Amino acid sequence: MTKGDKILIVIVLILSLISMGYIRRQGLSNDDKYVSIQVNGAEVKKIIFDKSVVGKKLPIETEFGYNLVEIGDNQVRVIEADCPDKIDVKQGWISRIGETIVCLPNRLVIEIKGVESVNSIDMMNY
Amino acid sequence: MKKLNKIIFLSVLVSVGLALGVLESAIPLPISFPGAKLGLSNMVVLVTLVVFGFKDGITVSMLKSIVLMLVTGSVSSFIYSFSGAVLSCIAMYIAYKYFSNIFSLIGVSILGALAHNFAQVTVAAIIINNLRIYTYLPFLMLTSIFSGYFVGLASSYIERNLRGSYNII
Repeated sequence: MTKGDKILIVIVLILSLISMGYIRRQGLSNDDKYVSIQVNGAEVKKIIFDKSVVGKKLPIETEFGYNLVEIGDNQVRVIEADCPDKIDVKQGWISRIGETIVCLPNRLVIEIKGVESVNSIDMMNY
Repeated sequence: MKKLNKIIFLSVLVSVGLALGVLESAIPLPISFPGAKLGLSNMVVLVTLVVFGFKDGITVSMLKSIVLMLVTGSVSSFIYSFSGAVLSCIAMYIAYKYFSNIFSLIGVSILGALAHNFAQVTVAAIIINNLRIYTYLPFLMLTSIFSGYFVGLASSYIERNLRGSYNII
């Protein structure tokens, strides 16, 4: 083990720790929303809203059934489902934190989660 | 005869790397990151690079990741491991060829591990189409220090014995 090795290890260690701390601070400061897709109670996919995922169609195919989820600009909807009543398709877009789309026959829950931002309407508004 | 010897030796190295790759998937890790692994089979690539040179090193690493895909049957992870293998091989060769007065094999192996992780994360970012996956890189970098250190340590012993007992090139 030469001196160069030790320097390299220290540099990489410092670099990774600094960027880790930076990422953690970033993650706490921006209150993004994200889409949580759950099947049978377990989260199978988590999508953070981003410019690059707008218009993306996501097939969710499980043992319980098939759904096609479309991600929009800060919103999400189901556009195809093989369940009989198609309630999830008729519900349309959801965009606010806490809103959910449920497809019971396929045991699919799509929920928008995130840190509530300060200026959104809450129960105290009249 | 010389060439045949070399081909046989390289294929033995590939199969050793394969065995190590299968073996390391059976070793439980204290931390469970997807993508973090010991990289024991990287030892073989590093030794090949040092003893035989770049062309044979990259051949061994590419063959290893192709055959490992056939053994484990995970085609999706093949894209990650293949790109990682190629980039880490190139990085290790550059480090060994031009900076071997600064780094021992440990440093070379750490650089290779870093390149492997970087390639993996880049491919993942292209595939899932989300740059946020790069936030994962610092964690992988931290693990690559440890795995790279041990791989480099082990390879330096292997290299010493290999050079001593066989007159290969």
